[in-house]
Amino acid sequence: MRFKAQIHNIHTFTKLTASLNSLGPLAWLKLSDEQVCFTIIPEQGTQVWAVLSIDTIFDTYAVQSAANNVINLEVPLGPLNRALKSALNATSAQIRLTKKDNIPLLALTIATTSSNNAYSAFPTSGSRDDDTMFDAQSGGSRETVITQEVPVRVLAPDTVSGLHEPQTREPDVHIILPPLMQLKSISDRFTKLALAGARTSSGAAATRTRLDMAANMHGCLRMSIKTDAMSISSVWTDLANPELDPSQVANGDIGIAEHPSTRMKLLGSADGRSEEGWASVRIDGKDWAKVMSVGRLGGRVIACFCHEHALILYVYLPTDGGEDESVLTYYISSYSA
Amino acid sequence: MVVLNFTLTPEAASKIHDLLVCLGKFSDTVAIESRRERLVFTALNSSKSAYAALTLDGKQFFSTYECIPSHGGPEGRFTCSMYTKALLSVFKGRLYDPLGRDGAIDRCEVSVQDRADETQCRFIVKMVCNQGVIKTYKLTYEAVDVMHALFDRNAAVNRWSMNAGAMKEYIEFFGTKTEMLDVFAGDDGRAVFKSYTEKIANGKEILKHPLVTAVAVNTSDFEEFKVQPGLHIVISVKDFKAIVIHADTLKTSLKAYYSQPTRPLQFSYGSDGLLCEFTLMTSGDYNGGTAPPTPAPVAPQIASRVASRAISAAAPDARDNRSMPPPVEPASRRSTRRQVGSRQPSSPTRLQDDPESLFVNQGEEEDTQWEPVDYNNNEEEALGWDASADRNTGNFATFQDSGSFSRSEGVQGNADSMEGIAPTQRVSQIKGLW
Repeated sequence: MRFKAQIHNIHTFTKLTASLNSLGPLAWLKLSDEQVCFTIIPEQGTQVWAVLSIDTIFDTYAVQSAANNVINLEVPLGPLNRALKSALNATSAQIRLTKKDNIPLLALTIATTSSNNAYSAFPTSGSRDDDTMFDAQSGGSRETVITQEVPVRVLAPDTVSGLHEPQTREPDVHIILPPLMQLKSISDRFTKLALAGARTSSGAAATRTRLDMAANMHGCLRMSIKTDAMSISSVWTDLANPELDPSQVANGDIGIAEHPSTRMKLLGSADGRSEEGWASVRIDGKDWAKVMSVGRLGGRVIACFCHEHALILYVYLPTDGGEDESVLTYYISSYSA
Repeated sequence: MVVLNFTLTPEAASKIHDLLVCLGKFSDTVAIESRRERLVFTALNSSKSAYAALTLDGKQFFSTYECIPSHGGPEGRFTCSMYTKALLSVFKGRLYDPLGRDGAIDRCEVSVQDRADETQCRFIVKMVCNQGVIKTYKLTYEAVDVMHALFDRNAAVNRWSMNAGAMKEYIEFFGTKTEMLDVFAGDDGRAVFKSYTEKIANGKEILKHPLVTAVAVNTSDFEEFKVQPGLHIVISVKDFKAIVIHADTLKTSLKAYYSQPTRPLQFSYGSDGLLCEFTLMTSGDYNGGTAPPTPAPVAPQIASRVASRAISAAAPDARDNRSMPPPVEPASRRSTRRQVGSRQPSSPTRLQDDPESLFVNQGEEEDTQWEPVDYNNNEEEALGWDASADRNTGNFATFQDSGSFSRSEGVQGNADSMEGIAPTQRVSQIKGLW
């Protein structure tokens, strides 16, 4: 079993691990010849299935194993993220799978040149002669090598064979979300209000922070929260509902004609005032805040609403015009009222 | 009745804040020992594995400084202990602010009210702010005996020094929950700082194991690096971080002195009348394998100067470096003291005595500031950390002879005041120290 790669986009990798880490501490990392998959399946809350093209984060990538060159690892995201952070100013960073005292490790070898060379310009004692100063400066390439060792667990193919991406029915509404920063600041405020309301009225008992999210096929997204004391909602309009690609839908054009979203197009209006045509889900505000952590990656997000059932977010990572897209898929199930 | 009054500039007061923050990472209480010409903040952590002494020079650090201890003559002192947090709530951050914003002060006046005719003993801090506002804080304190850890820098043949700012960059790479720091001198021109945790977990627990971080630094990046290749020395990473962060506030160089694992290590740095010394317990395996930890020529040299060295050499198993041999009384007690006190006057002679000495003579001036116990105070408990390396027992008699000889010859002046010194506590009597 061998895995070795140069990390080519350290910022993306760091942000990715940080976003995933907010949902759960452990990730299943699947390395294969074609792609790199991160999967988080927390005991409760949102699942993430991320499929990245190799060149999104790696370079000179080599993976070998007895099981069709696929390596499955369980990786603690916190330490991995911490390790990657120390490579943010690196001149080069390499990651490889290794073993030490029988513990498998992901070892990062990071070469940095010190960011501040200012100190060599200030000799400690004023009486030093010029020679020492010259020496300190001529040491120019002040390279430091940092090794970070992240303990991992190797998963047998049998262990992961039972893990499947959730199956959902065809969504009723699909819509491109507004900038996540905007969405997050509003949802955070809603959640805080709900928590504050719950605290004053019923003590520490049930602090449920259910957000109602709804969207229609006319570019509207609505986020609302209801408690005993209040009811607030925000509506976005003029968002885009992307067209379905017949080649991606079962039965092609007929499939599209029969698609739930086609029916939903007939209902509701573009000003968001109509009560009809909304597909809505009830989600947990705190869980949503964790999902919004993905905003730092700056991707385009398409939300698919299965009415009263689930909300699925597809986060497309920005690419430099490459063919293979990297997608993070978030499965958020809807709570019943 | 003690007189202790001093005045601080805003910069100095803000340095007091910084040093209290640092000491707070070692201990809840900080001890203050003031003498005629200097003031020392000391802290010993609860496991007694780390000792800090931060010396403020009376003339250099303070705008005015006056200390007249109630007894003890020129070597007399006033000691007390206070909660670090209490002092920190007085010496807040941002005392020094060139723009004069909120919290900035004009000067800080401190006095101690410790008189028999007063009902209250207080440590009084007056913060004189702008616009004539004066904030007066009266703190209670506890009279304590201050313990000092002794460190023999001459036995510490391994030493390095590096700019604290650079070192701070390195510690930022360390994982958050690690416990130990291994400083390793490779033989490939690199020094490796490795932070790790000793706990070995199994199964699923493995994934909770903190990050292991190794930072390999070219020894040419150090201002000085003289460490035996292959030597590992292990200290607490938390202590190290606290020290580096504080050293960085002074924009100075951090110097390390150590001999071998299980012997204490000392970090030292300072500027502008502030000298910081941290003496830390070390562990780790001695992997050098080739040369003995202390080169042979060293032993006679120390011996000629320091009888205590000879005494500790008399311990039955001097090679056993897992525990520091308790000094044999009474000679060792007296001589330990004598040794430290007499170091400076005797050093020129010593160097001539042994031209082959492997000791690096630099840092001797700082050594004189490393103050031993109060010789005149019989109640004092002094904690001796014998940093001497192993030596061979065969020369014992000679050591003792030359030891007493050098005393009568070289250090007459000091020797008198050192008679009747309070004994060092036996190591075996100190519980939980190691």
